[in-house]
Amino acid sequence: MEVFFLESILNLVGFAVGITIGILSYIGFRNTGSPTLFRLTLAFFSIGVGFMIMWLGITLDAYVFDPKEPQRWIQTLGIAVQTLGYFFIAFSHTIKSFFPRSNYLRSVGILPLFLISFISIENVIRSISFILLAYGAIETMMSYFESRRKTAIFVAAGLAMLGFGEFLGWYYFVFPQSILNVVSISIKITGLGLLFIPVTKVPLTKIKFDENL
Amino acid sequence: MQVYRTHMKIIGDILTTTRDDLPDEQGASITYLIRKANIPHGRISKILGTLVSQGLLEQTSSDGACKYKISSTGRDFLQAYNTFNKFADSFGLTI
Repeated sequence: MEVFFLESILNLVGFAVGITIGILSYIGFRNTGSPTLFRLTLAFFSIGVGFMIMWLGITLDAYVFDPKEPQRWIQTLGIAVQTLGYFFIAFSHTIKSFFPRSNYLRSVGILPLFLISFISIENVIRSISFILLAYGAIETMMSYFESRRKTAIFVAAGLAMLGFGEFLGWYYFVFPQSILNVVSISIKITGLGLLFIPVTKVPLTKIKFDENL
Repeated sequence: MQVYRTHMKIIGDILTTTRDDLPDEQGASITYLIRKANIPHGRISKILGTLVSQGLLEQTSSDGACKYKISSTGRDFLQAYNTFNKFADSFGLTI
């Protein structure tokens, strides 16, 4: 029950943060026509909707379906939609540095992550999420070194914590009786909180929404 | 590594120049904007045409030459651009 409560908080916070950042990005896109803001809109709407689907999944499992036989496909769908959002964030950082430059790393690549978790679609999607989040966190940190904008540190830390949360959630399948799931969820909630910080810096009252632009 | 400006960044630079850095009250000439915003003539002509047609810049004629000033819509756009540029920057992105 404690895990259900924590997962509900995580998913509802994730939905709220995702949709809020998505709406703000959409306002920015409508006002400036920037394709980057359009991709951010798609990214955060996907992340928000993904969290909502996951919340729906655990709620239906708890109250409608048999809790002993959870409907994993709803969770998998939610994670897949979220991963699509992480993809758009990573894609916005340009694909050119997506694959590691080192010959050794290139030869090893990211294949083991997929091979280890090939036991289920959910694990595969989680591993893709982890890679995209790690990439997004590194690129955001790199951009901080150029721009020195402090909010970029919070976003980089937020993405890193979401990625670490995914990583621990992934290990939870290996050690199902451990405390890893609760730790994973708590880390993810903190990560989402950090992602929300840039939104608080936007002076919304000064933005005029012009339909003609 | 050479850093290329996005189309949006170039527009932001032109509008910022016409708002904050005008040589006189008539506006800025194309030559002045080319120098300040560092854009080739062929490209800036197209961009200025678009900005005038969108109502972001006002075109005036002075001594037979075209000059450009930012409009009130342009000021609103520039304010939104600066706000969301910072927002995107927080995510490590450039708009």
